[in-house]
Amino acid sequence: MLGKGGKRKFDEHEDGLEGKIVSPSDGPSKVSYTLQRQTIFNISLMKLYNHRPLTEPSLQKTVLINNMLRRIQEELKQEGSLRPAFPASAPPAAAAADPLGSSSREAPPAFSQPAPAPCELGGAAALEACLTPASLLEDDDPDTFCTSSPAAPARLAPPALLPPEKDSFSSALDEIEELCPTSTSTEAAEADGPKGDSSSGGPGAPQRPEGLQEGGRPEDPKLMDSLPGNFEITASTGFLTDLTLDDILFADIDTSMYDFDPCTSASGTASKMSPVSADDLLKTLAPYSSQPVAPSQPFKMDLTELDHIMEVLVGS
Amino acid sequence: MNYPDEITYGNKEHFRLASFSLPSSLLHWSKPPPSRTWTVVMTYQQDYLSPCLYPLSALSDIISTVEFNHTGELLATGDKGGRVVIFQREQESKNQVHRRGEYNVYSTFQSHEPEFDYLKSLEIEEKINKIRWLPQQNAAYFLLSTNDKTVKLWKVSERDKRPEGYNLKDEEGRLRDPATITTLRVPVLRPMDLMVEATPRRVFANAHTYHINSISVNSDYETYMSADDLRINLWNFEITNQSFNIVDIKPANMEELTEVITAAEFHPHHCNTFVYSSSKGTIRLCDMRASALCDRHTKFFEEPEDPSNRSFFSEIISSISDVKFSHSGRYIMTRDYLTVKVWDLNMENRPIETYQVHDYLRSKLCSLYENDCIFDKFECVWNGSDSVIMTGSYNNFFRMFDRNTKRDVTLEASRENSKPRAILKPRKVCVGGKRRKDEISVDSLDFSKKILHTAWHPSENIIAVAATNNLYIFQDKVN
Repeated sequence: MLGKGGKRKFDEHEDGLEGKIVSPSDGPSKVSYTLQRQTIFNISLMKLYNHRPLTEPSLQKTVLINNMLRRIQEELKQEGSLRPAFPASAPPAAAAADPLGSSSREAPPAFSQPAPAPCELGGAAALEACLTPASLLEDDDPDTFCTSSPAAPARLAPPALLPPEKDSFSSALDEIEELCPTSTSTEAAEADGPKGDSSSGGPGAPQRPEGLQEGGRPEDPKLMDSLPGNFEITASTGFLTDLTLDDILFADIDTSMYDFDPCTSASGTASKMSPVSADDLLKTLAPYSSQPVAPSQPFKMDLTELDHIMEVLVGS
Repeated sequence: MNYPDEITYGNKEHFRLASFSLPSSLLHWSKPPPSRTWTVVMTYQQDYLSPCLYPLSALSDIISTVEFNHTGELLATGDKGGRVVIFQREQESKNQVHRRGEYNVYSTFQSHEPEFDYLKSLEIEEKINKIRWLPQQNAAYFLLSTNDKTVKLWKVSERDKRPEGYNLKDEEGRLRDPATITTLRVPVLRPMDLMVEATPRRVFANAHTYHINSISVNSDYETYMSADDLRINLWNFEITNQSFNIVDIKPANMEELTEVITAAEFHPHHCNTFVYSSSKGTIRLCDMRASALCDRHTKFFEEPEDPSNRSFFSEIISSISDVKFSHSGRYIMTRDYLTVKVWDLNMENRPIETYQVHDYLRSKLCSLYENDCIFDKFECVWNGSDSVIMTGSYNNFFRMFDRNTKRDVTLEASRENSKPRAILKPRKVCVGGKRRKDEISVDSLDFSKKILHTAWHPSENIIAVAATNNLYIFQDKVN
């Protein structure tokens, strides 16, 4: 009916969860609620980023999935606000890597063992990053630098010419494109100062996308291409902006990112490509700048993680 | 402009009617046309879309819209391959009473073709999203058909005479040498085999950035509207290079987009009034006299959320997939994922009637979200007297709700269960533990067999049901 053997198991598991009216306040069912929420979150992400249609994706579907993710993020934010102490960024990065690296079926078990905090943070961080494109546009921390951000999952919106693994270069161009139609939001975002560094949640600019105010959570560079940004691509390409054309062209030409050795040719090659690219790569490492440790250490550690993810994505 | 070749149909296919009824009665069964796989059309598409991985015939035959015209004499279907097939009801004859009311294929033509948006590197599907008939004003029939981006006005006319006896041309049309002409004659019209031609009279293009989901002909018969995810445009039938934008919900910052337009329709009698529904389960009624841009609604219909039914999917299942005015114009009916609701135009805070279509799916929403079924857009229809409403479900089931008696019935549109002269048996889905003999359990429902499109004859109890690539026509023979 709904699926093959493996899925049926999943369905039954889910049916058991869905049958209950679970609220976060229930003690014993809180874990199952969290589990279900995380599962839905993973499914939503996969829907947005693994879908490669030949025709333009349905805007209604995209909007509904985005709203779902936003709602989950709101919840996580509210729950996370009760926990002032965040774990180090590495676990969240690892946790956030799971939704992407593994199938949604593996995700629930992965999250059930550790405490809910990391997985929530990972989810929140991922969502946070997805929904804060404006924040990623400004970063003035030159120390942290990573050229091989793990290829974010395939964008739903960009033209089919883009390879499935979203590289940060293309996403940088997309963000620039977003800059043009929405110049007011960009200026406001830049006026806020470095976002990644601040550990205190401060209210963002009014123009910030709603509900994304905290700067305390480390952002997940893997999901840096924003969910709402998808709209921008599908919408603005209809308006015949020059940047759109550039995006297509550059996306076609650029393959050097896949040949990267993260730690060596980072600065050189990236800066040759275009200053934009380098800036963008800098931004992807904004979260890591919040680490008290010297930038290179989490840099390398996360690069290994990211590199691994990249291999998985490229391999698939 | 390169119009597709018309495909005229000489040999008529036969459709027999099947009947449904709660009491028993003898029925005919409607056979879906085997000619849905006409080779001419298939070859064309196959060449164009050869990179596709899936068999073209299966998918391009999927019916995507069904619509009776205003008299019920004609029934139009559009499919995923961009074709429109029009059926005509056979005239009653005293000699063949049992064949009364059969629908035969009247005309077939390629309405839309696949296009390629080079800027976005995406295909524009040729799938016909909606067909709407214009009221008949002369011998010809007019209909609007639309895909995601372009609306077309088609004229369907009959030709049963042709001129013969030209002086300068011979019968094959070749020019004659004037020197050989010795006598003059007057050309005369002679009868010929009936030929039905479809010609595109207007093409309304390049007005929609997003996918068109609805078209609606205004009661003034001079204008119509087309609605996409974020905008609604008002057209005049005579003018194809201009349209008025009457609703625009695109936010300045696309990142703030949380709601889209899902359906729109004009009031059946008041040419200044229309409604549009949204993905958040709201309906807005607008009056075009109030302002040029109807961004501010006159009425706002929304039902407060039931807290006991709250789930992650509350918003998605509240998204309205279809909105229809009643024939009287007093009510609107909306379809969301699990229910059909009837609203009184005078009461905005809640519907006056709510009908559960398949509430047993409420516990399966997560699975349906994963396999995308939760995004299926079911349509709903009124019968001619606004007393019965009908909508589709899964497993080739469709449901009817009698608003007066409050009775409802579930029927199935499938070949196996619709033998000639068969009575359509009411079906039942078993939700509890013990399954009775004829019941179907929720877990054995086939979610790939969904009935999204149905139509009801404007005055009689004849319904058309589209099940994937099959068209079923059923009739209720109440004696």
